[in-house]
Amino acid sequence: MSEEFEPRIVAFLCNWCSYAGADLAGASKSEMPPTITPIKVMCSSRVDPVMVLTAFLRGADGVLIAGCHPGDCHYDKGNYYTRRRFAVLRKILDTLGLEGERIRLSWVSASEGPRYAKVVREFSEKIEELGRNPMWRSV
Amino acid sequence: MKKRIGVYVCECGPNIAGAVDIDRVLEAVLSLDGVAVAEKYGLLCSGDGKKYLVEQVREHGLTHLVVGACSPKQHELTFMTVCEESGLNPFLFQMANIREQVAWITPDTEKATERTIRHLKAAIRRVLYHTALEQKEIETNPDVLVIGGGMAGISAALSLGSSRKVYVVDKRDALGGKALKYEKSSPGMANSADVVENYLRGIETDENIEVLTNTNVEEVRGFFGNFLVKLRENDAESDARELRVGAIIVALGMDPLDSEVLSEYGYGKIQNVYTSLELEQANVDGKLGMSGGGKPKSVGIVHCVGRKEAGYCSEICCTVGMKIACYLQEKFPGIAVTEFYQDLSIPGRGAQVLYEEARRAGTEFIRATNVQLSESDDKIKISYERDHDKTEEKPVDMVVLLVGIGPPADAEKISNLLSVPLGKGGFFTEEHAKISPVSSSIEGIYLAGCASGPKGIPETISQSEAVAGKILAGLVPGRKIETEAKTSRIAENLCMGCQTCLDVCCYGAISYNETRGICVVNEVLCKGCGNCAAACPSGAASHQHFTSRQVYQEIAEIVK
Amino acid sequence: MSQNAEVADQILVIGAGMAGIEASLTLAAAGKNVYLVEREPLFGGQAIKCEEVFANMECATCMAAPMQQEVLQNERIELLTLSDIKEVQGVAGDFTAKITKRARYVDSEACIGCNACFDPCPVSLPNTFEEDLGERKAIYISCPGALPNVPAIDTENCVRFAGEECNLCQEACMFEAIDFDQKDEEIEVRVSAIIVATGYDLQDVSQIAGVEYTESGNVYTAREMERLYASNGPTEGKIVLRSGKEPTSAAIVHCVGREDIGYCSAVCCMYSFKFVHYLTDKLPEIKLYEFVSDLCIPGKSYQAFYEKLKDKAQITRFQNLAISQQDDTATISFQTPSGEDNTLEVDMVILAPAIVPAKGASELAEVLGIRYGEAGFYGTESGIQSGVDSGRQGVYLAGCAQGPKDIARSITQASAAVGRLLASTD
Repeated sequence: MSEEFEPRIVAFLCNWCSYAGADLAGASKSEMPPTITPIKVMCSSRVDPVMVLTAFLRGADGVLIAGCHPGDCHYDKGNYYTRRRFAVLRKILDTLGLEGERIRLSWVSASEGPRYAKVVREFSEKIEELGRNPMWRSV
Repeated sequence: MKKRIGVYVCECGPNIAGAVDIDRVLEAVLSLDGVAVAEKYGLLCSGDGKKYLVEQVREHGLTHLVVGACSPKQHELTFMTVCEESGLNPFLFQMANIREQVAWITPDTEKATERTIRHLKAAIRRVLYHTALEQKEIETNPDVLVIGGGMAGISAALSLGSSRKVYVVDKRDALGGKALKYEKSSPGMANSADVVENYLRGIETDENIEVLTNTNVEEVRGFFGNFLVKLRENDAESDARELRVGAIIVALGMDPLDSEVLSEYGYGKIQNVYTSLELEQANVDGKLGMSGGGKPKSVGIVHCVGRKEAGYCSEICCTVGMKIACYLQEKFPGIAVTEFYQDLSIPGRGAQVLYEEARRAGTEFIRATNVQLSESDDKIKISYERDHDKTEEKPVDMVVLLVGIGPPADAEKISNLLSVPLGKGGFFTEEHAKISPVSSSIEGIYLAGCASGPKGIPETISQSEAVAGKILAGLVPGRKIETEAKTSRIAENLCMGCQTCLDVCCYGAISYNETRGICVVNEVLCKGCGNCAAACPSGAASHQHFTSRQVYQEIAEIVK
Repeated sequence: MSQNAEVADQILVIGAGMAGIEASLTLAAAGKNVYLVEREPLFGGQAIKCEEVFANMECATCMAAPMQQEVLQNERIELLTLSDIKEVQGVAGDFTAKITKRARYVDSEACIGCNACFDPCPVSLPNTFEEDLGERKAIYISCPGALPNVPAIDTENCVRFAGEECNLCQEACMFEAIDFDQKDEEIEVRVSAIIVATGYDLQDVSQIAGVEYTESGNVYTAREMERLYASNGPTEGKIVLRSGKEPTSAAIVHCVGREDIGYCSAVCCMYSFKFVHYLTDKLPEIKLYEFVSDLCIPGKSYQAFYEKLKDKAQITRFQNLAISQQDDTATISFQTPSGEDNTLEVDMVILAPAIVPAKGASELAEVLGIRYGEAGFYGTESGIQSGVDSGRQGVYLAGCAQGPKDIARSITQASAAVGRLLASTD
C-alpha cells in the first residue's frame, strides 16, 4: 500500500535576508507546498555540514539553505563560507548514496518574496521526483 | 527545577484562526514533555494580549514560553520584553512563525493544521534546551588614540578633546600633514594653511589633547573600550610608553602615487616638470616659477597621472588642477594655462564654480589621451591625442603633473599592528563601504581621511567629525558597554587549538592563547553569526542560542 | 518618551532617508531622544526604491532593513510619518517646533499589516511611489515591504472622503484598525538641536529643453528604471516597456540638462552603469548604449565597477544631445566632441536627470531660518568644513539636502552632524 509521498524538507534561513524574503512571500500570500519547515539561524554560515547530514540520517528528504546574496552578507563574508561548505556537502552526499540534488543553496534577498516562493516550489517538486530518503526508517 | 512550558497560539483575528484548527493544535502539543499549559488568544501582540501573557507566566509558574503567531522578525522583541516583565529570562522563549510560514501560504486547513503542529512542536522541543543568556556589561576607557596628525587626525582630536583625553601620535616632527602645503583648498578656495594653523593652535590650547610627534605606534593589544597601546619615539633608544585607550582612529593620510609612473612623463629628466605637491609647496614658500628663476609664460597641467596603473580616480585632482591654474594666473598675469584631462570629475556646485572661474581666467581645457612629454629647444613639448585620432602638440615652459593619491607609506605596518585589513588600492578597508564608511571591521578602530581612500579636505573633515560622532555616542565616560548576548563560546576541554575558528571570524573576535593552546572568543567583539561553530571540527565552538543541540531538536521534529 | 526629559536630550531630525536614519541611530546610541519626522507614509528615502546599489550591487532593502528595524524598535526614536514641520522658533539649545502629523486613518497599534483592506477598495489610481508604472488603491501601502507596514488612506482619492457612502475597507478589517474619524494632529516639541536630512529629488525631465518625455512614451527616468527592475516593483522586476514589449535596445543618457542646471550630480555615472548590469541581467541579448559627457567615477572602488561593465555597452561621448519619441522607439540626435552629427534609434531611452533639492526645500528653509545656495541646496560648499553647518546655530545638515552625494557620504555627513551636535553640548 503506497502512501502519497509528502516530502519533509528542512530549510535553514538566515535571519537577515532570506528569512525576510520568506516572510515577504508569505505576506504576499504566495502559495507554497506544505513540505518545508524553516529553521532560523543568524547567518547561513551557521549551517554546519554535520547538521545537514544529521537531518538526512534522521530521515529528511531534502535540505534547503538560503542566505544573503554574495556581497550582501550581514556578517560581511559569512555566506562565502556557506558556499564552500555546500560544495563539500554535495560531494559527501554522493558517498552516502544520496542524490546531490537533495540539497539546495539559494541566495534570497529581503525583497525577493516571489523568488523564495519559486525556489520552494521547484525544490519541493524535485524532492517529490527523487522520492523518499532511502535512509528513512532504516536508521 | 522542573520545566514548565507555556504554549500560546495567537489567532491573529481570522489570519491564523481561519486557516488552522487551533484547538487541535493545542491538544496535540499538550502531550509533549514539559508543556504545562497550551492556550489560544485573540491578539497576543496587543496591550491586553501582552498583559495576559504576563499573568499566565505568573499564574502557572512558567519557566519557558513558546508563542505561535506571526514572524519573529515582527514580534520576537515584543514577547521577549513580556518575558522580562514577567520575571522570565528573555532567552527562555521561542517563537513559531505560523502566519507568514503556514497560515498565509497553505490554503488546505488540514495541511495547515499539520504544519502548525510541526512548527510548534519543533519550537517546544527546542526551547527546553535554551539557556538563560545575559548581556554582559564591561567597563571602558573613553580616551582616544589618533594615529596621524594631518587634517583628519587634527579635526578628529578637536572634536573629541572637550570630553576625554586624546593622544595624537605622528611619526613626523610636526603636525599638519599635507594640508599645510596648500595655500588654498579646492574647490572652495579657502586659505588652507591658515585654517590648519588655527586648528593647531586649538590643539595646543586644549588641555585634554596630548601631542606626541616623532613617535611610532609599536604594539596594540586589547579590544574596544580596552586597548593597550605601546608607543616609542623615533629615537630607538628611548623607553616605550604605554597608554590605555578605548578607541583608535587611523588618520594616516596619503602619499602620492609611485614615482616610477612619473618618470614616464620625463619627471626628473626634463627641467621644469613638477608634481602638483611640489608646486603647492613652492607656492606656499613664495618660490613659484621656473628653475633658474624665470617666469613661465605657458604651463601645461596634466591630469590623471598614475591613474591607469592605480586603476582608480583620485577624485580631487581635477579641482586641484583648476586651483593651480588660479595660482599661476594670479602670480603670472597673462600666462597661458592648458589643462590636459581625460574626464572632468567635478561633482557639486562648488567644483563647477571653480571650473567656470578657471575658464573665465583663460584656462584652456583639452580632453587628451596618450600625453607625452619631450624636450624641444628650451621648451617642453606636450604631444597628445585629441578625440582619439588627431595627434597634436603644444610647447610650454612648465608642466605640472597631477599625481594621483596613493595609500600612506605606513599602511601595511599599521594594518598588521591593528589587524585592520587593507583592500582596494592598498587603502584601509571600511566595515561597510556604504553604511559604515568610517568604521573598520575591528570594533573601536575607526578610519578618517585618505587612509581609507582618496578624498578632499571637506570630505576628510566630514569623516573625522563622523568618527567623533560615533565615539561621542558609543564611548561615554563612565558608561559601560553592553555586549551581544548570543555570542559564541569555545569549550576549553574540547578545543585542540587548530585555529580554524580564528580564520573564519570576520571580526577578529577570536584569539589564540599560546600558553593554553586553545582559542578564546572575545564576547565584546563577537557579533553572533555562528560561523566559527559551523567551522569547528571538534565541536568545541558553540553558538549560544543556536547550539547544535537546539537545532537538532527542531530538525528531529521536522523530519517526523 | 518622557515629557519631562531635559530639552538638552531631545533632538529633531527632519527626513527619514538614509541620512536621517543614521543620524537618529547615532543620537539614540548617545542617549538622546529623537523625533524623526518624515512626510511620506513610509520611510527609507530614495535608497529603498533601488533593488541594488553600487558598487557592490548590494540589495538595498537588505542593507537598509536592519537600520529601519532598529529605528522602529528603538525606544528613544519616535518616528512620525505623514508629518511636516510647520514652524520653528527659539535658539540653539531650546527650539520649539510645531509639527503637523497628518491623519493616516489607520490605527498603527491595532493594524497587523495583513493587507485585507486593499482588495475591497473600489478606487484604483496610479502609484506615485512606482512612478505611475503601477497602480494602488485609495487605502494603500506604497510598495511590498514598506515600513511601517501600516496602510494610509489617500483622502484626495477616497470616495468616502469625497462624500460617498463607502465602508468597504473598514468592513474588511478584522482588527478595527480603520478609523475614518482620525484627525490631523498638531504636535509641539522642544528640542535642543535640529538635523535637516530632507534628501533630494530628480530634475523634472519634461522641463529639459530638447528632451521629449511623456508618460506613455519610450523615454524613462532613472527612478522609473529602478522601479522596473525592483523585485517588489510594479512588474516584479520584469523589464518591459509601457507598450508591453521587451526592449531589444536601450540608451542610457548621462548629463541631460547638465549645462542648464550648472553642476555635476555626483552619482549618475555610477548608477547609469548599474543600469547596464540591470538590463543585461534580465535581457542578456539587449543592445546597450551609454551617452557620456564626462565620466565621474571617483574613489578607490568606482572605476573598477565601470571597467567591469563598460564592455557591455557602446560608450559614446557627446556634446549636444536631443531626444525625441516615436510610436515604438525613441531617437537620440547628438553631436560628437569633434562636431560630427549623428542619430541613434532605440527601443528605450533612460535618462539620468540632475539631483535637485527635495520638493519644498525652499519653503522649509524659510521655516527653519537657514540659507540655501543658488542651486537650492542648504548651507554652503565654501570654506574648509564638512558641510554640516546650516548657517543657523543648532541646526545641522546631512545628506543630499546639502548637495548631491552618494549613500556613503550621506551617512558619513549624518554622523558628522551628530558629532558636531554632541561636541557642542559637552
